[in-house]
Amino acid sequence: MRQALFGLIRKEFIQVFRDRNMLRLIFLMPIIQLLLFGYVVNIDVKDIDLDVYDFDRSSESRELVQATSANNYFTPHDTVIALRNLEDNFQNSSSDMAIIIPHDFSEKLMRKESPTIALISDGSNANSTAIGTGYMAQIVQSFTKGYYWVEPPLKIRFDVLYNPEAESVYYMVPGIVATLLTMITVMLTSMAIVREREVGTLEQLLVTPIKGRVLLIGKLIPFAILGLLEIVIALTAGVLWFQVPFVGSPILLFALAGLYLITPLGIGLFFSNVTSTQQQAMFFAWFFSVFAILTSGFFTPISNMPMWMQYITYLNPMRYFMEIVRAIMMKGATLPDLTFQVGVLIFYGISIFSLSALRFSKRTA
Amino acid sequence: MSNFIDIQEISRSYSDIKAVDNFSLSVSSGEIMALVGPDGAGKTTLMRALCNLIALDQGKITIDGLSVEKEFEQIKPMLGYMPQQFSLYPDLSVQENLEFYAGIFDVTGSAFEKRAEELYGFSNLKPFRKRRALDLSGGMKQKLALSCALMHDPKVLLLDEPTTGVDPLSRRQFWEILLNLKKAGVTILVSTPNMDEVARADRACFIFKGKKLTEGKPDELPNLFEGQLFYLDTEPTSSIVRELNSIKGLTARRFGAGMHLCLGQDDSIEAYSARLEKLALPKSQIRPIKPGLEDCFIQLMERQL
Repeated sequence: MRQALFGLIRKEFIQVFRDRNMLRLIFLMPIIQLLLFGYVVNIDVKDIDLDVYDFDRSSESRELVQATSANNYFTPHDTVIALRNLEDNFQNSSSDMAIIIPHDFSEKLMRKESPTIALISDGSNANSTAIGTGYMAQIVQSFTKGYYWVEPPLKIRFDVLYNPEAESVYYMVPGIVATLLTMITVMLTSMAIVREREVGTLEQLLVTPIKGRVLLIGKLIPFAILGLLEIVIALTAGVLWFQVPFVGSPILLFALAGLYLITPLGIGLFFSNVTSTQQQAMFFAWFFSVFAILTSGFFTPISNMPMWMQYITYLNPMRYFMEIVRAIMMKGATLPDLTFQVGVLIFYGISIFSLSALRFSKRTA
Repeated sequence: MSNFIDIQEISRSYSDIKAVDNFSLSVSSGEIMALVGPDGAGKTTLMRALCNLIALDQGKITIDGLSVEKEFEQIKPMLGYMPQQFSLYPDLSVQENLEFYAGIFDVTGSAFEKRAEELYGFSNLKPFRKRRALDLSGGMKQKLALSCALMHDPKVLLLDEPTTGVDPLSRRQFWEILLNLKKAGVTILVSTPNMDEVARADRACFIFKGKKLTEGKPDELPNLFEGQLFYLDTEPTSSIVRELNSIKGLTARRFGAGMHLCLGQDDSIEAYSARLEKLALPKSQIRPIKPGLEDCFIQLMERQL
C-alpha cells in the first residue's frame, strides 16, 4: 500500500509540473498578488486635500491651519471663496475634507469657552475619511491644549500598536498568505479529482486493489504540500522585498497552516463530489474564494460590517486563519493566545473533511 | 471447465430504459468470450456491472465463485479491466503510466522491470516509452491500456470494445495478444460491435436491447440461420431495397457493395424470378450463399424488434 500511495503522489507531482499553466499559476500567483497588494492597494492615508474656510482670520485660526499641515497628513488649501463652493470641490475631487472655522473662534478661545469648528468629509472614500477624521481630532486636541492652563478633563491618546506607521503592506502580506493557501488548495484539489473522473481514470482505479482512503490521501497530500510551498514563496517575497516584519514563530505558523489546510482540502474534495467537469469545479472554487476573501477581514475589518454580516463571517474558516497569520506575524502571538481560533479550525477541519471524505468514499465505493 | 464468470439473470435500468434485461451468461476458465452487439445494446452496462461499478436491479454475478457485489475486494487482484473510453493519464508517458499502475498493484523493483519487459515485448511500445499517452496512435493507446490492465498478471480480463477506433492491422495484432493470453490461461470477456472479430473468439454471445439473443461457437452460430440466403450483385439503392422488401416472402438487406436476400426454407427462388427480372435483377446476378454471423445476428435481432 505504501508503494501505491507513493506512486499516486509521484504521479500527481509529475502532472502538476508538466502543466506549464499550472506551474505559472502556482509560482507566479503569489509573487504577482504580493506585488499587486503591496503597491496598488494602499490604505495608508497621506496628503488629504483639506479646504480651509477661515472666517475668523486670526493668528489663532492660522495657527490651527498650520498645525494640520504638519506630518504631511493634510494639504490645506486656504480658500477665500464662498462656502457654497464646498460641495463642488468634493464633487470634482479637488478636496477630500473641509474645515470651517467660525468668526468667533479666537474670541471664544480667549474667553476659555469652547469654540466649535466644523469638519466636513467626503464619505465616498470611507476608509480615508475615517482615518483623516482621527488625525484631525488628534491635531485639534493638541492645539487646544496650548490655550488652556489646565489639562482638558478628557485626554485622548492615539497609539497604534504593532504597525505604528499603519503600513498596509504589513497588513496585506498575512492576508495574502491566508488567501493563497485557501485558493490554491480548494481549486487544485477539486479540479484534480474531477479531472480523474472526466478522463475515466478514477473508475479505472476503483477496479484496482487500491484502498479508497489511500486513493484519497494520495490525491490530497500533493496539494497540501503545494499549498505550504505557496506560503513559503509569499512569506519569503514579503519579508525580503517588502521587509515585512515577522515577529512570531514561523514554525507555529506552519504547524497551524497544516492544521488549517484540512478544511480547504475538505472543501475542494466536496466540490469535486458535487461537480462533474473541471469547469464546474473551478467555478465552485472561484465563488467560494470570493466569499472567503470578502468575509475574512482581508480588505475590510470585520468590525466595520453590519452585525448580521459579522455573524456570517464566523462561517468562514479562512477568517480564523487570517487572524492567526496576522497575530503570529505582527504581534508574535503564541499558541495559548490563539486557542479560540485553533479550536474553531479543528472543529471545521474534522467536520468538513469527514463529511466530504464520507461522500467521496460513498461515490467511489 | 468451470464457469469462471457466472452472470445470473441480471437486470439494470436507467430511468425507463432497460439497459440489461434478465441477462445470463457463463464464461469458462481460459476461454475467450466475445460479447457482440450494436451500440446501445448494453455491452458497456454489462462490463461495468462485472466491475462492480454499477449496482444491479436484480440478479447476481460471480467471478471464480466470489460475489461481485459482496466480495469484490477479493476479486480485484485477479481482475484486469479496460474500459471503452481511453482512461490512462494522457499527460504521463508510456513508461510513467506503466510505473503508476505497477505501484497501484504493488509490482515493485525487479518484478516490475521484468514485467515491463514482457509487456513491452508484446506491445512493441518500448521505442515510444518516453512519449506521452496523449500523443500515441489509437492502436498504441489500446495496447498501452491493455499493458496497464495486465500489469498484475490477472486471471480474468474484461475488455470493453478494445478495438474500436483502431486500424485493421493493429486490430489483428491486438487479437494476437489476446490469443497468447488465452494460451497462458487468462479468461477473457471482450465486447465488440465488429462481426469479423468474433471468429477469433472461442464463443460469442449476441446481445441486443439488453437481452441475450443467443450464444455459441462462432462457426456454429450461422447454423441458427433459418431460410435460404442469396447474394444480389447489384448496387443497393434505397429504392431497390424498398421494392424487394415489398414483395411478400422476401427480405432484402444491404451487404457491402451488394445485397443479401432471404427467403423461407421451403420457398424457391424460382417463384420470384419474374418479379426480380422486372427489377432488372437477372438470374446471373443472384447466387445462393452460406449465411454468416452477421446474417444470423440480424435475423435474431429483427425478431426482437
